[in-house]
Amino acid sequence: MADKDKDKAIDIPVTAGQPAGGSPYAGVFDRLFDFCRARSLFLLHYCTGCGAIELPPAMTSRYDMERLGIQPMATPRQADILLVTGYVATKTLKRILLTYEQMPAPRYVIGICSCTVNGGMYWQSYATVKKLNEYLPVDMYIAGCMPRPEAVIAGLQQLMDKIEAGRANGWQDYYRRYDAYLGKQQALFGPRWQTPTDIVAEARRFELFGPGTLGAHTSLLDQYQQPLELPSEPVFGRQKDESGR
Amino acid sequence: MGWGSVLLEVTLMPLLAFATGLLLVLMMRRIRARLERRVGPPFFQPLYDILKLYGKRVQISHGFIHDLGIIMVVGGYITVEMYLPMPGMDGLAAHGDLITLAYLMMVPSLGMALGVGQCANPNGSIGISRALMAMLGYDIPFMLVIVAAATLYGTTSLPDIIAAQQGGGMATWGVVTMPVMAIAGLVTTHVMLAKEPFETYVAPAEIATGPMVEMGGKFMGGLFVVQAFQVYTAGALYTTLFLGGGTSWLEFLPKLCAVMFLPFAITVLFPRFKAGEGLLWVWKWPTAIALLGLALIYLRR
Repeated sequence: MADKDKDKAIDIPVTAGQPAGGSPYAGVFDRLFDFCRARSLFLLHYCTGCGAIELPPAMTSRYDMERLGIQPMATPRQADILLVTGYVATKTLKRILLTYEQMPAPRYVIGICSCTVNGGMYWQSYATVKKLNEYLPVDMYIAGCMPRPEAVIAGLQQLMDKIEAGRANGWQDYYRRYDAYLGKQQALFGPRWQTPTDIVAEARRFELFGPGTLGAHTSLLDQYQQPLELPSEPVFGRQKDESGR
Repeated sequence: MGWGSVLLEVTLMPLLAFATGLLLVLMMRRIRARLERRVGPPFFQPLYDILKLYGKRVQISHGFIHDLGIIMVVGGYITVEMYLPMPGMDGLAAHGDLITLAYLMMVPSLGMALGVGQCANPNGSIGISRALMAMLGYDIPFMLVIVAAATLYGTTSLPDIIAAQQGGGMATWGVVTMPVMAIAGLVTTHVMLAKEPFETYVAPAEIATGPMVEMGGKFMGGLFVVQAFQVYTAGALYTTLFLGGGTSWLEFLPKLCAVMFLPFAITVLFPRFKAGEGLLWVWKWPTAIALLGLALIYLRR
């Protein structure tokens, strides 16, 4: 793995919030929304690891997450938090990234269990991702093998405090330093790695375009980009797909 | 009544209906939580959810019709509230009647179908086809209830129906004068709210919330607003037809909560029907009860 930007990637990045606009009321609305965001969190579980077993007790009658405004949702479009429970294989990481990029901003990622922090017991595995926050911004880690429901809820409450203070800005960092994240992803999946979401265009739209958004790795995106749609002529009885998909 | 007061009522009625709807949504979630031995969400939770969803940034578009669909869904319900009398305010109710209301209540479903159709998600298409199928199911007992009410009270005008029930006290309430119809109406309300076992088109574990599958951020916010309107409309219509409406909010609100308590509580007991099974059940039982009720009303005349 490339060690060049190791220092940058290991720190959970903290970027400054939105620059204050001209209107004095702009800040008021931001604070109101942050207040509501912290009190209403929709979870999307990405439960391929063993940590998932601690979530049902956290959600049901024993610990009841709904009293804190946390409830599960069915699709990434509806969710605020992506919950990654347990080890992430290189194959599952692809799905996590596709899911993450579909979620509407502001979005947060929580890594549960030691495996997401440092690979845990899969440290020597060739097929397992060691540090989740190298590939996508993680706002909160809940360590433990596995963390008890109390720990999960304590972690979620810390994230809520962070959101209310306007400091859970990992999603902005993904746009501002997209090239670094993409570089790590390409190191695993090869230079042809593509996702259907155009992160660079979104960064421009959200005015989160930073000096690290474009770079050597995003230029590879353009180089290997294939059209997502099939050719426009009608393809009944689809011929062999030359793009290899 | 001058234009000014009509305009004021038409503005206030959807807002009040929304606030009451939020209260009913909170009640629904609290009842579910208590029956599952949980604490349940805090008081302002429905409001936090909606504000948060409207504070989200939307980075995708599924096209113009998808955007228009959600406006039609919310707009349809806002129009419904203008025609549904609430204590002290009739709004446009004098200019429309039960038939108008029944027609307007279909608009949100059609808007949803329009919008979801464009997002090209197969779960969404399956969901919306099931939603329209459910509508096909509950519309038959619903129409029978409307026919029965119109026959019994001799009018389709909602203010007149309310006045007829409030004039004679509790003995003239629909629930006393047509008890069989009241049962059919309650079952129909339950189906209309898409609570289990009729939750076929939401089905989170099966088709990932169906029509809502591609609705994120502000779109989802619109749907949460619509949920509040939906529970209010169902409860208020039932209260109007069978429980004599309300002379004041102190009378109206407990009636509304009492009506909604039953569907909200018994829904927790059930798993889910298959889409076709649910349709057949609705065509069989509530329709049969409603036909019986209608026959009784005609026999008594």
